Amino acid sequence: MIPATLLTNALLVGAVLFCLGLVGILTRRNLIVMFLSAELMLQGVSVTLVAWSRYHGDWGGQVLVVFVLTVAACEAAVALVFVLQAFARTGRLDASAWQALREENLPRVIDHGLPADDRVVPSWPHLSPAGVLPEGDDSRSLERDHV
Amino acid sequence: MQFSVANLLVLVPLLPLLGAVCTVLLGRRLGPRAHLPAVAGIGAAAVVALLLLLVTANQVGGRHADPTHPVEPVERISTLWQWATVGDARSGDLHAAEAGVPIAPGTAVSGGTFSIPIALRLDPLTATLLMVITGVGLLVAIYSIGYMHDDPGSPRFFALVAMFVFSMSMLVAASNFLLVYVFWEAVGACSYLLIGFWYTKPEAARAAKKAFLVNRVGDFGLAIAVFLLWMTYGTLNFHDTHLADGTFVEGILGQTRIADEAGYVAGAVGTAICLLMLLAACGKSAQMPLHVWLPDAMEGPTPASALIHAATMVTAGIYLITRSAPLFMGCPGALTMVSIVGATTALVAALIATVQNDLKRVLAYSTISQLGYMFVALGTGTMLGFTAAIFHLVTHAFFKALLFLGAGSVMHAMGGVIDMRRFGGLRQVMPITATTFLIGACALAGVPPFAGFFSKDEVLASLHAKAHPDAHGSDHGEAGGRPSGTGIDAGGVADRGVRPFRPASMTSRSSALASRTTGTTDRASTTEKLGLDALDHPSTWRLLFWMSLLTAGLTAFYTFRAVFMTFTGPVRIPKEAGHHAHESPPAMTNPLLILAALSALSGLVLFVTNALSGFLAATPSLTAPAVARTAVPHVFHWDIAIQGTLAAAIGIAVAAIGHLGRRSDSPQMERYLGPLGALFANKFYVDQIYAALIVKPLEALAMVTAFFDRAIVDGTVDAIGQVPLAWGSAIRRMQSGLVQRYALAGVVGVLAIVLALAWQLRP
Repeated sequence: MIPATLLTNALLVGAVLFCLGLVGILTRRNLIVMFLSAELMLQGVSVTLVAWSRYHGDWGGQVLVVFVLTVAACEAAVALVFVLQAFARTGRLDASAWQALREENLPRVIDHGLPADDRVVPSWPHLSPAGVLPEGDDSRSLERDHV
Repeated sequence: MQFSVANLLVLVPLLPLLGAVCTVLLGRRLGPRAHLPAVAGIGAAAVVALLLLLVTANQVGGRHADPTHPVEPVERISTLWQWATVGDARSGDLHAAEAGVPIAPGTAVSGGTFSIPIALRLDPLTATLLMVITGVGLLVAIYSIGYMHDDPGSPRFFALVAMFVFSMSMLVAASNFLLVYVFWEAVGACSYLLIGFWYTKPEAARAAKKAFLVNRVGDFGLAIAVFLLWMTYGTLNFHDTHLADGTFVEGILGQTRIADEAGYVAGAVGTAICLLMLLAACGKSAQMPLHVWLPDAMEGPTPASALIHAATMVTAGIYLITRSAPLFMGCPGALTMVSIVGATTALVAALIATVQNDLKRVLAYSTISQLGYMFVALGTGTMLGFTAAIFHLVTHAFFKALLFLGAGSVMHAMGGVIDMRRFGGLRQVMPITATTFLIGACALAGVPPFAGFFSKDEVLASLHAKAHPDAHGSDHGEAGGRPSGTGIDAGGVADRGVRPFRPASMTSRSSALASRTTGTTDRASTTEKLGLDALDHPSTWRLLFWMSLLTAGLTAFYTFRAVFMTFTGPVRIPKEAGHHAHESPPAMTNPLLILAALSALSGLVLFVTNALSGFLAATPSLTAPAVARTAVPHVFHWDIAIQGTLAAAIGIAVAAIGHLGRRSDSPQMERYLGPLGALFANKFYVDQIYAALIVKPLEALAMVTAFFDRAIVDGTVDAIGQVPLAWGSAIRRMQSGLVQRYALAGVVGVLAIVLALAWQLRP
């Protein structure tokens, strides 16, 4: 059992975390940052749950938080795979590059143009070949030439 | 069932039906021999009909030696099977009970069960008409072999002709009003299909539709009449029947009821039944005001016109009224209406026919006019009138079929041209057709001694007897002068167990009747003077007689006008004729010759031997006392014959002055008619009046309802369909594809829910 002031502080921290995450997910365009923001929101909720749990002396809230953590770990794994695959397709992590599912005849939403892809393709060090050259898939290597 | 020749009756309709079915099934495979099953079926039916006619004549025997002596009715009923049986169909009893009308114990017997037996009857009237139908049908079918030889649809044509002969022979052989109604419709359907035989031709399709629709008006009358008959008499059978449980049902035209002076309901209900039947007969027999379909029906193949619109189908109305003669006898007003309708139609159609230039249309109007003649005779309500009508029906079937087939022969030779102004002098090109046509024309015009002369003479004589009852009273014995309308007033009310079923709901329809029905089911009390009955007055009949005589003169004029325009004058052949401009093949001319012989001789033979009228007098319907007591001795009416012949001679003379030997495309006699000519040429504007009064308002109504349907009903449905689309187009813009927007929408939504909850839960 904790006093109400401590509860208030804990709830404020949780709310701040949640709002930061919310603002992050709504404003940032980088997929990984958006994903991190979502995690931040989860943690804000978790803090709130723990605070209420302590306040009421009920373990249920904390048990729920353990669940949330577990689920968040799984979700992180799955979400990161999606992000990686998306990146592998286009080589971009910008969410605003993914607008193909919009209504027909609607213009693209552009608040700031996509950053120009002006990176110089790095010249990777070539090692002297050893052993047998693995079978390569040229079509796949084409689309990820700048990875 | 014990075998007798009369049982062969069923073969008369059955054989043409088989022919029709065979033609339908084998039609394509038979190829150029597609006519065989139909012609064989109709031919065999004609042989059977002849046999039946002889058997019936033998049965009637020499009993008609004394015409004033009551004739024993001759009828033979063969019930094939029960079509439908409904027990306790008489709900009318409940009404009667409610109304507090005491019901005689016998009443329950006469109308308990509604049963429709498929029963055929053989009596002199049926035998005569069967002979005419199958005989003329056979000749027309043989003629069609030549006429339709190069038409690709000829199997369909022969199937329809056989089907038509089947329907028509069932119509005259059925012994039940419902069956009559069924085949009344079947005949109408066959006629529709035959008129519209060349259905790719818009005029033919329109004429078929018109015939069908106009006939529906009459059919409606027959349907209501049948309902009223059931409500009034509790049965629809013509004949008396003994049910299995020993009860006895008195048929509407059964011998028990016919022998009973007071067996028939008169007054408003009786008159309504008769007038509705008259409406039905007007539709089928093309009488005013429902005659408009027949001239247009000439769009069909000419043999179909000859078969349907001259010889058989149009006589259905005559048959119906003759068969229902006892019903009509109680309603003098309705009977007089029959004559008035007939005389008006005869005169108007004859006037129209005088200015027609289409050969088939002249004949069509002549058919309407001659049917009017038969109606006039029927309306007299005397034995002479009824037999005269049937006599005229028979001779008319011969000569009108002859004239139509002759016109078809001309049309065949002229390559489909039928406008009389475009050809002339054809007697040199087609002598057989010209000669037979002339014989038919003489018969139609009433030139002695051809067939039409005798039958027309009988019709006029029956009218004359009604117009001058006193003169004929002394001439022909007292029976001739007796007005038919008093048949019901005989005081003797037979006190019999079986009484007609007469629900109170029916009789209480008019207040005058209701006051009478309460407390009594006495049939003699049905005598009631209707306003209509006042028409039955000698002065009316005198007017009708003079109208008919004028019609006779006009008939001679237009018939011979057609003969002179077509067959005399310089030879002119339209270019459409091509290689066809010669006499028709034997398959077409042989029926013409047979019909010409019949047209020339049948009247003389039937009149001199008095075979037909004596034979018909044994028909059960005509043995009703009210009819039978009007029988007069068989005499030749010199005075009337002279008047009729004079009228015909004047008509022929005028036609000869105007048209004999002249070019048929030169100015005609119509030019002397002035404005009347336009009136006749436009058929008294009846079509235009119908168009203005019925067709146009209906079309306007249809346009309004179509507008209502398209604009209001469809519009509402479409508008409801537009609502989701409109919503969709408003919300669609939110589908940006940008994931942050979706997230924002989710956040806003959750916030809205939270705020709403907070508002709800506010302290």
